[in-house]
Amino acid sequence: MGLSSIFGGSAPSQQQTVNPGSNTMPSGGVTDKVKSQISQELAVANATELVNKVTENCFEKCLNSPYTDRNEPCVDQCLIKYMRSWNIVSKAYISRIQQASTSGEI
Amino acid sequence: MSSITTADLANLNDSSKKEIATYLEAENSKQKVQMSIHQFTNTCFKECIQSTNNTDLSSQEEQCLGNCVNRFLDTNIRIVKGLQSLQ
Repeated sequence: MGLSSIFGGSAPSQQQTVNPGSNTMPSGGVTDKVKSQISQELAVANATELVNKVTENCFEKCLNSPYTDRNEPCVDQCLIKYMRSWNIVSKAYISRIQQASTSGEI
Repeated sequence: MSSITTADLANLNDSSKKEIATYLEAENSKQKVQMSIHQFTNTCFKECIQSTNNTDLSSQEEQCLGNCVNRFLDTNIRIVKGLQSLQ
């Protein structure tokens, strides 16, 4: 599992920024540690989901059977385009949620 | 990661437990939104993106992505209403 080690590898440095405070105040420290672990695990889940989805889509767009060509420029451009699409979709969805909540639908 | 033990968790007082529960609930609903965005991007990228020969989204592609999200949600709402009326 190469990917999980990549994301797991960034975890300890984040952990260190939380640890110093937790030594001085034991009870609040555990709460902070639990919270940071929750955030970290969610971040890993999101990163994994993104990698999987971008790989699936860019593989579909850029590579053709019998897969002798790697087509790296297309994959690189596709990745950037996917991230831009993610931002557009995110904006559209969030503005829709806001609309619905101000009009009392949810 | 391994620094939190089950004993640590058992020793948490009620206000800390409540704080964690509130935090978890907030993160959970944020995560639901995130996962929806992943799903919509996956679906709409397939439908809307014509070429991957450049890095900029064309205005058509941008418009298509926005429409795709909104029509997907319209459809979702209609399906829910349709199922409710069947009950």
